[in-house]
Amino acid sequence: MRTKSSITEKRIEEHSFLCLSSSKTIKNRVHQHTPCSTVFAMKRPISRDGDGNGDLLKMKKVKVDGDANAEENCVLRGMRYFDDNVLFEVLKHVDARTLAMASCVNKQWHKTAQDERLWELICTKQWANTGCGEEQLRSVVLALGGFRRLHSLYLRPLSKPYSSSSSSSSSSPTSSSVWGPISQAAVAPRPKPLPPRLGKDAVHLSLSLLSIRFYEKMSNFNNRTR
Amino acid sequence: MDELLAVVGYKVRSSDMAEVAQKLEQLEEAMGNARDGISQLSNDTVHFNPADISNWLETMINNLDRAFEDSSSSDYDLKAIAGKAIYTTAARVKPSPAESSSSTRPLVLVDSQENGIRLVHTLMACAEAVHQNNLSLAEALVKQIGFLAVSQVGAMRKVATYFAEALARRIYGLYPENPIHHSFSDMLQIHFYETCPYLKFAHFTANQAILEAFQGKNRVHVIDFSMNQGMQWPALMQALALRPGGPPAFRLTGIGPPAADNSDHLQEVGWKLAQLAETIHVEFEYRGFVANSLADLDASMLELRPSETEAVAVNSVFELHKLLARPGAVEKVLSVVRQIRPEIVTVVEQEANHNGPGFLDRFTESLHYYSTMFDSLEGSVNSQDKVMSEVYLGKQICNVVACEGVDRVERHETLGQWRTRFGSAGFTPVHLGSNAFKQASMLLALFAGGDGYRVEENNGCLMLGWHTRPLIATSAWQLATKSVVAH
Repeated sequence: MRTKSSITEKRIEEHSFLCLSSSKTIKNRVHQHTPCSTVFAMKRPISRDGDGNGDLLKMKKVKVDGDANAEENCVLRGMRYFDDNVLFEVLKHVDARTLAMASCVNKQWHKTAQDERLWELICTKQWANTGCGEEQLRSVVLALGGFRRLHSLYLRPLSKPYSSSSSSSSSSPTSSSVWGPISQAAVAPRPKPLPPRLGKDAVHLSLSLLSIRFYEKMSNFNNRTR
Repeated sequence: MDELLAVVGYKVRSSDMAEVAQKLEQLEEAMGNARDGISQLSNDTVHFNPADISNWLETMINNLDRAFEDSSSSDYDLKAIAGKAIYTTAARVKPSPAESSSSTRPLVLVDSQENGIRLVHTLMACAEAVHQNNLSLAEALVKQIGFLAVSQVGAMRKVATYFAEALARRIYGLYPENPIHHSFSDMLQIHFYETCPYLKFAHFTANQAILEAFQGKNRVHVIDFSMNQGMQWPALMQALALRPGGPPAFRLTGIGPPAADNSDHLQEVGWKLAQLAETIHVEFEYRGFVANSLADLDASMLELRPSETEAVAVNSVFELHKLLARPGAVEKVLSVVRQIRPEIVTVVEQEANHNGPGFLDRFTESLHYYSTMFDSLEGSVNSQDKVMSEVYLGKQICNVVACEGVDRVERHETLGQWRTRFGSAGFTPVHLGSNAFKQASMLLALFAGGDGYRVEENNGCLMLGWHTRPLIATSAWQLATKSVVAH
C-alpha cells in the first residue's frame, strides 16, 4: 500500500503548487481544514488557467448546503480524471462524510479514499491528545484493523450523541448519575458541523472495542456458529 | 353453526364457542388432576351424540367432577392459589367481542395479566411447599405453573419455565449433572457476552482499575481466575501497547477448570492472545493452569517473581462466589491472594443474595433477580444469541433452586457482603475512577438492544443494572498495608 516514494511526494508538491497558482491566499486556504465544496470550488478557476481571484471570492461565499452539493456534483465530474496523488492531496482536507462519499465515485477514488493515512488524519483530528506517539498509535491501530474501521464502527457512533461542542461532563463521585442515551437531547442539525472532539475515554473505548473485534475475528471461535 | 368445526364433523354453535372452550379447559385440568385415573370415563359414562361437543363436554365434566370430589382430600387444597384460578366455573375465559359478529374464527381471550399474577403466586406457593417439604402439594403446583406460564409472553414466560423446571428437579430429585460440559458452557458464555453488556462492563471496568494500578511498571503480571475465552485481555493489551512510553512486558496466568474432552483449551486461548500480542508488539508470556477449584491453588505454583521486578494483578469475574459452596475455601483463596502480594485485585460479582440459609428467601431473591435479567435480554436483536443467553442463565437458575450442598455453586452474594469478607481478609478498597464510569456509560450508550441499562457508582465500586435494579458490581482491592505506601 505504501508505494508513494519521496520523489513522488516532491512531484506532488510541485504539481500542486503549479495547479494552485502563485496566489498566497489560495495556498493558505487549501491548507486549512475546509469543507469539500469550497476546495473544489477553488480549484475550478485554476484549471481554467485564468487568474480566478475574483471568481474565487465569489465562490467562497457560496456556502449554503444545497447549492454547495450541486456545485460539488458538477465539479466532481470534472475532477474524475485527476492524478492519484493530487486526489490524495485533496482528500486530505475533507471531512469524514465527504471522504466516505468520495470512495463511492469510481474505482480510482475508491482506492484512494480507502487509504489508511487519510482516515488516520480524520481520526486524529477528532480526538484530544491520547498521550502516545504517532508511530506507536499507527502501528497498533493498523495491526488491529485500521483507522477506517475504527472510525466507522466506533468513533462515528460515539460522536453522534454529542452536540457539536464536546459535552463530556465529569461525573461527581458521590452521585449515582445516570448517563442515559444523550441522543435523546434535542440537537438542532447544523449544516456540516465540525466533527466534535472526542474525549480520551471515547477514544480508549473505541480502541478497546476494535481490539476485541480483532480478537474475535481471529481463528473463528470454537463452537460458535454465526 | 361454526363452519370450521363443521368441516371436521363437530356441531357447535358460534355463540357457544367461548363456553365450549372453557369447558374443554376445565375438562383438561380435571383429567390432569384426576387421582384415580379416567378409566370410568370410557367404561361407565354414557355419551350421546359426540358431534355435539357442548353436551359431550358437560357429561364428561360431570362424571369427572364426581370422581374427583370423592377422592379430594385436604392436602390437595389448590384453593391456596389466589382467586381459585382453575376450579371455578366463573368466567376466566372472556369471550371475544368478535364472537357475536359473523366471524367464524373463534377467539378466546385469556386475561394474561391476571394469570401473570397467579403465576407468581403459584411459584411462591410452590416454593413454600418445597420449603416445608410438602412435596405432593408442590408437585401439583408445579404442574399449574406449567399451564400458567404458557399464557404469558416474553420474559415472564421464560423465567417461569426455567423456575418451574428447577422446582420440578428439586421435587423429583433429578439433579442436573454437575459440572456441565465445559465447551458447551463456554459457548453459552460467548453468546451471553455478545447479547448483553454485563460481561463487557465487567471487563472494561476491571481493566481500567488494572491499568491504573500498572502505571509506571515495566513488567506486569495478571493472574486471571476466570480465563474462559480470554475476552478480557485484548483490550488491556491494546491499552498497554498504547501507553505513553511504550508497553510493559505482559505476563498472563490463566486459571480454568479442566475441559471435559481433555483438550487443552487454556493453551489455545493463550496461543491466540500471543498472536495478538505479537501483532501489536507487546512482549507476552503465558501460562495456563487447570484446576478443579480455585482453592486447589497455591502461591508457589504460580512462579511469582520478586515484586520489585513484576507488578501483579489478580482478576476474578463471577468466580469467587463458587468457593462459598465449601467451607473455608474462600478464606484459603483470599490468603493465597495475599501471599501473591498483588497491586490490585479486581472482582466482579452478581449483585444479589442467593446464598441465604432459607430456601424460600433464596427462591424469592433469585426470582426477582433473574426476572430483571431476562427483561434486559428482551431487547436484544440476534435471536440465536438471545436464546443461548437464556439457556446460560437458565443453568444458573437451576443450580440456585435445585441443587444443595457442594453442588450448589451459584452462591451469589451482595457487594456489601463481599466488602465485609475482603475487609476481614486484610484488603482495603480501591476506588474506581470516573474514567471507568464514563467508559462504561459510553459502552452502554453504544450498545444496541435496550436503553434500560444504568451504571451506578457505589462508594468507589461500579454497578450495572437494569432500570432501578443493580445486577452486577465491580470492585477493586489492595492489600491493607499497601495503602500506607505513597505512590
